[in-house]
Amino acid sequence: MIIKGLALFIALISTSAMAQDYVIKVNGIVCDFCTLGVTKKVTKLPFIDRSKYDKGVKVEIESQKVTIAVKDGMALDKDALFAAIESGGYNPVEIWQLTDDGKPIANKP
Amino acid sequence: MLLTLLLSGQVIAHQPVMDMAPRWDDGYGFQTRVEHFNSVTTTWVEGVYTWDKSVRATFKLPYRDGAWGDLILGLPLKKYKNEPNRTSNWSFTPSVQIPTASDRSKWDLGLSISYSAENQAAYQLFDLYIWEDRVGFDMNIGIADRRGRGQGFFWLWDVSALTTDSEGDRIQTGPVVVYFKESVMLRAEYKALVYERDSQWSRGFFSLGIGVVF
Repeated sequence: MIIKGLALFIALISTSAMAQDYVIKVNGIVCDFCTLGVTKKVTKLPFIDRSKYDKGVKVEIESQKVTIAVKDGMALDKDALFAAIESGGYNPVEIWQLTDDGKPIANKP
Repeated sequence: MLLTLLLSGQVIAHQPVMDMAPRWDDGYGFQTRVEHFNSVTTTWVEGVYTWDKSVRATFKLPYRDGAWGDLILGLPLKKYKNEPNRTSNWSFTPSVQIPTASDRSKWDLGLSISYSAENQAAYQLFDLYIWEDRVGFDMNIGIADRRGRGQGFFWLWDVSALTTDSEGDRIQTGPVVVYFKESVMLRAEYKALVYERDSQWSRGFFSLGIGVVF
């Protein structure tokens, strides 16, 4: 029983500390050279985990999607994120949280 | 004076760093271009600052025959439209030429109206510009050739038309290749003269430039 309880506790701790990845659909982001601004602005946000992707950000021109990694224990600030993308020159449209295997699970309100 | 006007007409159409970047708030960039036309080589030093994507400021300063020419300041005002799989913008650019050269210097005012659009595969730019004594039209159209990891090429075709009050008219056309890697862009272009009227100039135009944005 003690072992089971300990295992459950560890599982809960590891779940709450799990890094969060989000993917954002961004209109107009079709050129590699012009996307520097999005990376530059988003990377500066305090909740971005710069150890993943390219300083915490991955831009996919083909699908016009931007994937970000959020630091363990920190919350996503959607308004700040969308403002950073707009400041980088483009228009964010939708956002989804990703599962561990990279699949979108839900829209972030 | 004649040579100065003709050379100016070659470059006034384009804003620094190929009109593309920086489109982010508080972005800035520099570009230098070496142009060779009718046995004269001119080096342009250019810069851009972007307050937000709709308001920029630019400068261009030519250097030829061992002396600096007139400074050109521009204020590109842009209206962007970001759509799924496409981005485009209209640009309205008033400019002023300030007589900073020691020789053959003069004030002038210019205005450019341009439209550019691109998607993952293609790029196009159309620019109509007017100065006191000349009207020009410039067009770049071609394909984007992305190579991944923040680098790639644009393979474009340029058509430039210029009419002046006293130095005749001409149309030039030729290829443009742009290579970019992360924040650095290289641009090379050659234009051959395909039409001229009342002009003594008949040689090709060659330009090589490098720009960087921050």
